[in-house]
Amino acid sequence: MPRGLKIKKQSFLTEAECRIVHEGSCRLLEETGVELTNPKALNLFKEGGAIQKGNRIKMSRDMINRAVEKTAKNFIMKAKDPENELILDTKSPRVHFGTGGQALYVLRKENGMFKKKEAVTQDLVDILRICEKLDHVDFITRPVEPDVPDEEMDLEKTRLFLAHTTKHMNLANLIIEDCLPDIIEKVGDRSSISFISCVAVSPLNLVSPTVEKFIRIVSEDIPVAISSCPQAGLTAPLSEVGEIIQVNAEILSAVVLANLVRPGAKVLYRGIPITSNLHLDVSPRWCQPESIRRIALISDITYFYGIPCCGTAAVSDEKKPTSQALSEKVLGWIFEAASGAQFINSALGMLEQVMTVSPEQYIIDDMGISLVKKYLSMHPGADLKETGREVVFKALETFDVKTTREMEKEIANRIEFIYSPKEEYSPDYINNQVDHIVNAVSSAKSSSKFLKDSRKGLRKGWLYMGKRIEGAMNLKEVLKTKDGILGMRLRGT
Amino acid sequence: MADILGEIKKNLIAGRVDREDEGFDEDMVGQPGVTELVRQALEENIPPADILNEALTPGMEEVGVLFEEGEYMVPDMLASAECIAEATKILEPYFSGQEIQSRGKFVIATVEGDLHDVGKNIVSTILQASGFEVQDLGTCVKADDIVSIVKETKAGFLGLSALLTSTMTHMKETIDKLKEEGLRDQVVVCIGGAPVSEEFAQKIGADLYGEDAFDAINKLDKINAPGN
Ligand code: B12
Repeated sequence: MPRGLKIKKQSFLTEAECRIVHEGSCRLLEETGVELTNPKALNLFKEGGAIQKGNRIKMSRDMINRAVEKTAKNFIMKAKDPENELILDTKSPRVHFGTGGQALYVLRKENGMFKKKEAVTQDLVDILRICEKLDHVDFITRPVEPDVPDEEMDLEKTRLFLAHTTKHMNLANLIIEDCLPDIIEKVGDRSSISFISCVAVSPLNLVSPTVEKFIRIVSEDIPVAISSCPQAGLTAPLSEVGEIIQVNAEILSAVVLANLVRPGAKVLYRGIPITSNLHLDVSPRWCQPESIRRIALISDITYFYGIPCCGTAAVSDEKKPTSQALSEKVLGWIFEAASGAQFINSALGMLEQVMTVSPEQYIIDDMGISLVKKYLSMHPGADLKETGREVVFKALETFDVKTTREMEKEIANRIEFIYSPKEEYSPDYINNQVDHIVNAVSSAKSSSKFLKDSRKGLRKGWLYMGKRIEGAMNLKEVLKTKDGILGMRLRGT
Repeated sequence: MADILGEIKKNLIAGRVDREDEGFDEDMVGQPGVTELVRQALEENIPPADILNEALTPGMEEVGVLFEEGEYMVPDMLASAECIAEATKILEPYFSGQEIQSRGKFVIATVEGDLHDVGKNIVSTILQASGFEVQDLGTCVKADDIVSIVKETKAGFLGLSALLTSTMTHMKETIDKLKEEGLRDQVVVCIGGAPVSEEFAQKIGADLYGEDAFDAINKLDKINAPGN
């Protein structure tokens, strides 16, 4: 039995709505294009028929459509243990959950207290060992980097992965391009590894040297997730519609490039249109209802193209394993899984907006995901309004959190928010958003333009404001599981 | 006369730079914004000092209060800060230099190899709004270039931002270069970014670490710029 949860996909956008988003993104790429200065990438684009104007490259609708058509629609991500293979295919979707990174810190429970420390090699080893044992970790995205010099990073990471996991190895970022042949030699079968390339810097910029590494990875026929992660109100419009059009344009531009390098390229679509805390410190909001909604909508777009989706769920904004973190995570998993994202990365272990991971959190999340999977397979296609709340409660109760009526109301509000569109997906509105993006991109400081444009949306309540879920969690079982896997060894000994 | 100063203040609080600006309300499009009003006031021979002291300064103070009370959000602060910056540009020639109180020149940059600029941009906006004359060098700026700009502008403050553990080292490199050039004592070096800490600041010899812009300003309040 291959890994993954077979699901009945739920959609938030209709096909017609996806089509007009596509139209909007094409208009952006035709009229404004992407900023690009890397000579290698520029040559590829120009040979493929794109037009260079100053430091931007513009591509036609036709070029985009052809690239989408050529892109691999299904492929297998292998693993050391054949039982751990992942089949990615939008026609018969299976949802897989994996870890995420790269966290800078590790939170560990020591003498009853959570302590935050800079992540080191031993943490990577411990996390790999824990995740090897957890049933619901389908693949490993590099959670933290080993603390070795940059020149040694790629090979050391590969070595540690090979030693401690039999699951698919998503090495995430390639530090030194020329290390790729050695990595391939080390792993043997190149389909047992994959990468994530943050090639797009919003708004609409394909950056060097990332773009060059991306070209190299694609040319080696290794699956790579094309990542774009704007923060609405800062590097994209606060508007959901505007942000999605922009993310889509950014990813499409790299899809075009990938197919120019290698027709039929194996890419994953990783669009993460999150928001930011414009009320206070503009920090990213990954797990708040509006972000959960936007990320789920992206999955619909990937189905429209038939390109496998690298989703993101459960990057909690909380700094520690709390009830609030768990409730955010459950909603993230449930909506992202129901929307059919096949390769859900960052699904386990993440805290503090991808800054921190915690061994305990992996175990908590594994339990949470098991509940989500159980529910989704028992009620395929069910309305998530009713039962979304049930799963959150079940998860909280698993850790002996006392649930209350107030919590029930809060969870219901969040789910309601995720389900309710705030803007229309009409051709006029889309054109209006495209104009906003063009305007911001052509101004000297796009971030202040997006920020200023966000004032009205903020007042319309486009960022969810709710209450925290409070309640002490009993982590006894979690700690027991952790000690069972790692032994009673304290960190560093 | 009082009327137009009131209008300037009102539009500053609404964050409307010019006629095209919506404020939070589309209805405002077409009505004069801060820049048009300031020009009009000058034409009406209203003393520039009055524009500054009776409209701009109290307006910005009110924005600060609204922000603290949670009524205003970051984009509102930014919009008003932009109005101040534009208005100051218009008023500058009327002052002999001293009267617009600048808290000093502040050069800010994201270090070499690092493309993250969201935090840096916010910090520079807030610094500007609180009276610093900010020169933002952008992202991926080499230590050498930062140092030569500090030298050229005689800036009293330098802000460095890094979001990657692999680029943090360029902060030390920049500080070392400042020393080599004999500039270290004339500039307050202030660092920030997610992987950076108080401890790191001490280790590399920076003057202060700012968790965010407000933290940095609080700490800067306690230090006097040696160059100025
Ligand atoms: C958005 C983002 C991006 C965007 C950047 C867009 C942009 N225009 O800036 C994109 C997608 C392009 C990106 C790319 C990459 N990123 Co990134 N990114 C982030 C993310 C999610 C948020 C950063 C942010 O904008 N925060 C919001 C702002 C407001 O906060 P801030 O920057 O911390 O700034 C505040 C304070 O720190 C302080 N401050 C900041 N600077 C200064 C300066 C002074 C003088 C003062 C006083 C204060 C101050 O005040 C600010 C306001 O409160 C962080 C994770 C995180 N949660 O921080 C990862 C993160 C920083 N990125 C990371 C990585 C790994 C990368 C990539 C290498 C990914 C890749 N595989 O290619 C590339 C690197 C590209 C490069 N060469 O720089 C890692 C870094 C890990 C590490 N060990 O170094 C992080 C931590 C994510 C993670 N855990 O994986 N990233």
